[in-house]
Amino acid sequence: MGWRRVHAVARKDLLVEWRGRDGLLPAGGFGLAVLLVLGLVTGGSAEAAAAVLWVSVLLAAVLVVGRSTEREGEEGTLETLLLYPGSREELFWGKWLALAVLVAVLAAALWCGQVLLFNASPRGWAGLGLVVVLAAAGLGAVGTLFAALLHHVRAGRLLLPLLFLPTALPVLLAGIRLTEAASRGTPPEPWLGVLVVFDGLFLLVGPVLYEVVVEG
Amino acid sequence: MRPVDLVVAEGLGRRFGRVVALHDVWLRVREGSCLLLAGPNGAGKTTLLRILATALRPTAGRAWVCGYDVISQGPRVREVCAYLGPAPGLYSALTGWENLCFAADLCGRPRALARQLMARVGLEGVAHRAVGTYSLGMRRRLALARVFLQEPRALFLDEPFVGLDEPGVRLVEELVREVKARGGAVVLATHERERAWRMSDAVAVLRSGTLVEHTPSALDHPKNRCAIFGDPGPPPLEGFFRDALLGAGSGRPLRHTDRGGVAGVLP
Repeated sequence: MGWRRVHAVARKDLLVEWRGRDGLLPAGGFGLAVLLVLGLVTGGSAEAAAAVLWVSVLLAAVLVVGRSTEREGEEGTLETLLLYPGSREELFWGKWLALAVLVAVLAAALWCGQVLLFNASPRGWAGLGLVVVLAAAGLGAVGTLFAALLHHVRAGRLLLPLLFLPTALPVLLAGIRLTEAASRGTPPEPWLGVLVVFDGLFLLVGPVLYEVVVEG
Repeated sequence: MRPVDLVVAEGLGRRFGRVVALHDVWLRVREGSCLLLAGPNGAGKTTLLRILATALRPTAGRAWVCGYDVISQGPRVREVCAYLGPAPGLYSALTGWENLCFAADLCGRPRALARQLMARVGLEGVAHRAVGTYSLGMRRRLALARVFLQEPRALFLDEPFVGLDEPGVRLVEELVREVKARGGAVVLATHERERAWRMSDAVAVLRSGTLVEHTPSALDHPKNRCAIFGDPGPPPLEGFFRDALLGAGSGRPLRHTDRGGVAGVLP
């Protein structure tokens, strides 16, 4: 694998996001709104805090994935990207890395928002950090794959949540259970295994399928 | 030594649902030559170029670029070819320099070369400005710099003159000359036939997804510039070829081909 190419794609995606601020900021705002609504509905209960956080993260992640797809389409850059020399697996890894970083930043920001808005307990933040990294890796892989798949589909942006949300359900459940376990200081099994297997599966098949689906 | 065919298409076809965009196209482009792909809008020129550049899979037939199969050896094909389409394919949030460095990283070329090319296409003064602030012509120049950077053996150009001023057009001509001088092959689709004519060694005409006729004789005699077309096409196309052939004063009369077209040879 050409690290230079992977790094170039990831750096480019993050730089474009940083300059445009049209993906992460709106998604973060939306996630915060969901966090606020669900937090108020549940009365800011500590039992529901983990569920509120991860539902907000997942819904906001859909927007980040959708925006990254849309941007390549608007500028007509995906075709140029696909025509550069070399394997398209490297493009997958670069896009996955950038998306995983964005989702991790989103999750961290929403967690901070929850702590500030609902006075949620910051206990177990180190464990939560690991959960965020693993969840971001999984969501990044699923997002990269579906973004490529739906790029050529009319109304693909509308279909994205329909595919993304059910597929990412194991990440949602594992995120909730592991966050609860981290804050209570209880053992993380078996949900840590679920998250690791989910990541492993999508990171294994993702690059192979990407090559096929991205051509349309 | 006998020249090698760098671009070969055999029975190439592509359907989009019920629409046949390309049908049974057979084509050969030899090393050191440029093929002008002519034909009206919707003839299938862009589809053909995109298939050859591996941006699109054919639904029928096969094609090879520099000996590599465009279907099964896509990564190898992309190492030897470059495609410049109607859209420049640049990131408007990044600067010109960042766009070119990105291309250099993906192509495995040194950034020093990217710096030289920024100057060559006349963009060194605006290299650190966001591409979103560039004019269409400046974007096209940057896209040209990206193609120069790739140093391709096979070059596919789709409407390369759009938005370019005279110096920009000369850059396209230089690019084509360089690829040909390296022993590469160029396939060029454009409606600016007068400009393209000067750069081309052969002409192929597509109509409604079908290759009407092309010019094997031009390839057999690399020093000749030859045009053959079957169906004369709409009046502007026919007129252009007639003017080009007769205006050059080759002294050789146009002849009618088997397929109802006319043919002639330019010295």
